[in-house]
Amino acid sequence: MSTLKEFEEKLHGADEAERTYAAEDIGYLNVPDGVPPLLERLAQEPSLAVRAAIFQALIRIEADAAIEGSIELLGSEDPQIRNQAVDVLRRKGPQSIPFLKTVMREGDKDMRKLVLDVLSGMQAGNAGEIYAKALSDPDVNVVITAVENLGRMRAAEFRTRIEELMGTDSHPMLTGACLEALVEIGDESSLGAIRRRFPDLTSLPDFLLASYLKAMAALGSATEFGEVASLLPVRGPHLRPPILSALMAIYPHCPLLEPGETLLPALRAVVEDGDPPLCRYQAVRVLSFWAARDDVYAFLLSCLSSRERLVRLGAAESLSMTKRPGLAQVLAARALEESDEEVLQALAC
Amino acid sequence: MPDLSVEQFQTLSQQIYQKLGLHFDEKKIYFLKTRVAKRMTALGLDDPREYMFKLSYADPHGEEMQALANLVTTNETYMFREYDQLQAFANYCLPEVLSAKQARGERTLRIWSAGCSSGEEPYTLAMIVQDVFPQAQSWDCEIVATDIDENMLKRVAAARYGARSVADVPDEYRAKYLLEDGDEWIVRRRTTALVKARHLNLSDRMAMRAMRGFDFIFCRNVLIYFDDLSRKAVVDHFYNALNPASYVFLGHSESVGRVNTAFKLKRFENHLVYVKE
Repeated sequence: MSTLKEFEEKLHGADEAERTYAAEDIGYLNVPDGVPPLLERLAQEPSLAVRAAIFQALIRIEADAAIEGSIELLGSEDPQIRNQAVDVLRRKGPQSIPFLKTVMREGDKDMRKLVLDVLSGMQAGNAGEIYAKALSDPDVNVVITAVENLGRMRAAEFRTRIEELMGTDSHPMLTGACLEALVEIGDESSLGAIRRRFPDLTSLPDFLLASYLKAMAALGSATEFGEVASLLPVRGPHLRPPILSALMAIYPHCPLLEPGETLLPALRAVVEDGDPPLCRYQAVRVLSFWAARDDVYAFLLSCLSSRERLVRLGAAESLSMTKRPGLAQVLAARALEESDEEVLQALAC
Repeated sequence: MPDLSVEQFQTLSQQIYQKLGLHFDEKKIYFLKTRVAKRMTALGLDDPREYMFKLSYADPHGEEMQALANLVTTNETYMFREYDQLQAFANYCLPEVLSAKQARGERTLRIWSAGCSSGEEPYTLAMIVQDVFPQAQSWDCEIVATDIDENMLKRVAAARYGARSVADVPDEYRAKYLLEDGDEWIVRRRTTALVKARHLNLSDRMAMRAMRGFDFIFCRNVLIYFDDLSRKAVVDHFYNALNPASYVFLGHSESVGRVNTAFKLKRFENHLVYVKE
């Protein structure tokens, strides 16, 4: 049976495949003593394929030594090594948390940021201490990363602290991150906090408005619907997707809303000449909320003949949800002229 | 059906790409929506945000991603599947490799169809090789077709296919390389002679190490059923199994670069392929 020593020798062999296999074998051996030779080789290994095998071996080795070794690699000058070390530690899951806590206490701002990169995407219940510290970190990038992670993890226990961070006159990137996090973990009080922080939408810069709209999509109701709708004709085309997404998300919470005088023409204008096509699709889908109105219904029917397939798709989806008498025959007749497979499926629904 | 917003669609397609390597663009919005709707119904969810959270952060073993993968992928295999990719192979990669070999005085060509299922892919490759390179008969040329399923290997050996399997075979290829037999089609003997079927488990690292010296590897729409770590391990083995200046082809929408950074991306007009330099 091959021993660690044999694999170590092969790890320094001339043949790239042999070195890859040696790294793999050390990983399967799964002993703490396998870690130092892997790290030693990594420092001098020119082949990306062998490097990748070394990192996979570190993932397979269950001992703490693999975590400690990977934490050392976070300090590497080579960004590829740092990224792969982050990946190894992330895969180690909760086992790596005690080690990450130490780095959070003692590491520099780059290391602290990397700790949060490791935690990103990990449902680590015992990382609360790390996050509490990160939210008060002197480096804004560390705070931003912590807020982003907490939002994605839906860590509602940090909601109040994130509202506070948004409420202060903070770095604009941090404000945006707080808004995005509140999309996931916000409640009615968060909506109030957001509205107090941004009382005047007209002066809100575009990059913050996109995040604000996401928050409105998640938390808003009738009042916010009207405000968001009023933005469609006046803000730039690049903001159409988040505006339309917000309208689509808010409406189901207050389904008796009237569109007002400006919204329907604005939506029609987007359907007719909006770009990119996905925007046109979104606009058709928003129009479907008022498909019971004759003018909207007629417009949706006309959309079935659009040259843009996404407009036809949106119209087919929208119309198939209405209960108009005779509609089934109209859709069936349209299906005879349609060649796109997805639109045909939507027409048949 | 849940109204997946455009933003959610984009996030979801990004996640599917990151986890499965499958690319869904806006042309597939309805397709993806209907599949997500099925999964949401199965899980008793009615808010797409809840589903997306589950997929991202409440799926530690990747079970939900796998369930979605089963709905968005097809097990169907047929000859000349993903024709664009085969064109890149036939028009650019194969001639390049063959002329380099001729210049070196070599007369061997080895292609590996990994996860060959019932054999449609290796026989497609055999037809293309014979068509592009008629001298193949006088070279030491083989297409190694491997699969984990012995029943599939029996079907490779039988080389008989139904109408659905051969529906996309161009007429001139059909005439040259297939024989009609009732409602089935048989691959002609001179084409089957190029294909050697073997049992192989792609996760068996020792068996994988024995696979060496290939000029092309095709492993299309197979790795999506592997977890991340196993997928990386398999692609690392492919790297070692290839000769220098050789090519690997994963599924049309799967990305090699995402899994292994040692391969280099190479462009032939509109085609992007991965090469071991």
